Amino acid sequence: MEPKTSPSRPDELRRGVLVFVFLAILTAIEYFIGTHELPSILLWVIALVKAGLVIWYFMHLKRAFREEGEHE
Amino acid sequence: MSAEVPALKPTHSYAYKLRTQRIGLWLFILSDAFMFGGLLVTRFYLLGNRRPDLDQFVGLIVTSVLLISSFFMNRAEVHISQGNRRGFILSTLITMLLGLGFLAGVIGVEWRLAHFGPADGPQGAVFYMMTGMHAFHVITGVIFLAIILRNGLKGHYSAERHWAVEAAANYWHFVDVVWIFFYPALYLIGMAL
Repeated sequence: MEPKTSPSRPDELRRGVLVFVFLAILTAIEYFIGTHELPSILLWVIALVKAGLVIWYFMHLKRAFREEGEHE
Repeated sequence: MSAEVPALKPTHSYAYKLRTQRIGLWLFILSDAFMFGGLLVTRFYLLGNRRPDLDQFVGLIVTSVLLISSFFMNRAEVHISQGNRRGFILSTLITMLLGLGFLAGVIGVEWRLAHFGPADGPQGAVFYMMTGMHAFHVITGVIFLAIILRNGLKGHYSAERHWAVEAAANYWHFVDVVWIFFYPALYLIGMAL
């Protein structure tokens, strides 16, 4: 039986799409901020959010701390 | 008197190796991140609130290409984890092509469009060192993808056993994470020189 914390495969594909859309929106916002000379702190915040999303959802950081060695 | 023999631990099981390999990969990624972090610090130390004079739209295009490649890399990993070999092969192939597209955009277009060379002061040193080192990682990532594609075509991976795919995917996403910081640092933050 699959653990409750692990999403099913179609869910994983859908989650990948959602994360990608979110990343694309953030990239577009970054471009707007950069080309309109808005405060650069916003760019740092967006970069950190984007990196966090990729590390958590695409790189599956939590897998590195798992006791059981299985693919999701 | 006979010494008590301890029970054998399953140290060579796939699950055990998978756990240790994951930790090893993350340690490698961490060490590589320090190098890229050093380059990022160098950029702000040398250029401050100025940025290299680059075409911001080209920057957006290459960033988008790398972002889309990360999306397909994720799909490739999900597909192999559900035993969908065809989906895995297709997504890996698209990821590779997008990686090559990114290289063409940075090296083939941006390096040619730049009004300065690697030896033209701090902006040349910063720009070519950052993009060059990153491009080198993209090239190694594409080679890594070519290896898992070849092995995938030979049917070496299954839903239960595909560590190499997971490693290649993590490496590829790491290269994307690095560019997430390099993109604003090179193209968006500060006034153009």
